[in-house]
Amino acid sequence: MANTQDEAVTRLDSAVAEVFETMLERSCDPLEGEVDTVEGRIVARIQFTGAVDGECLLYASQATASVTAEALLGTPSEPHDPMVDDAIGELCNMIAGGWKSKLASPDSNCSISTPAVTRDGLEGYQAKFGTKFSRNYSFQGNVFGVVLAF
Amino acid sequence: MRALIIDDSAVMRKVIERALRQAGLELSEVLQASNGEEALQTLRDNQGSAALALILSDINMPVMDGLQFLEARKQENLAQGVPVVMITTEGNESFVLRAIAAGAQGYICKPFTAEQVKARVLPLLRAA
Repeated sequence: MANTQDEAVTRLDSAVAEVFETMLERSCDPLEGEVDTVEGRIVARIQFTGAVDGECLLYASQATASVTAEALLGTPSEPHDPMVDDAIGELCNMIAGGWKSKLASPDSNCSISTPAVTRDGLEGYQAKFGTKFSRNYSFQGNVFGVVLAF
Repeated sequence: MRALIIDDSAVMRKVIERALRQAGLELSEVLQASNGEEALQTLRDNQGSAALALILSDINMPVMDGLQFLEARKQENLAQGVPVVMITTEGNESFVLRAIAAGAQGYICKPFTAEQVKARVLPLLRAA
């Protein structure tokens, strides 16, 4: 199980780095330790079904989400801009898709859902799957977390 | 040049449009749809308008996904000469083969660079 999780972490780090370098033209590195709880945390969720059943959650503060939207769009975002939630959903989508594409066949033969974005935070979240880990990342001082469960 | 971009993410529609402009395409109009059903209606509504040059479509979308859109477009005989490029996180070979069988001429995996968009799209426009 440890090897499975180590491989999953390596794939996730690689997927996150690839998305940031390609789409946001920024480097993004993993952090050790937990991210401080942030009020109003934005959570995007992608589900995997098929050869792999599971989910990928990406969570970020409003400030980090706004910076992400600006980096993707190349323009400043407005307060309460729906593009901010959309950007976090799309970021989760690309990271989950990248992680899935790095799985060996037949595990890569799974479908991914469209992203669902909420502002409920992760309080009370319990994964329904056997393997679960959290990983925190930082780009230019902006921190976000990813939960992968399968 | 007119293009249709189909993606449920408004952010991604803007990112794709920017990549097309960075690729040097002179876009006079960019039509947008957030799913396959909206895209079909857009094609129906624009049948009498100036021809579309290009369609770019996501696969994973609510209501009607990109593969269903390709099939429905074929059945309704809408914009049949217009090249379609799929832009999606679904890099699995089975999705690529299904998309090509349903009429897509190109396939780009997210994340993507403007250079990758240029490399896939320009040869299709030259051949059209």
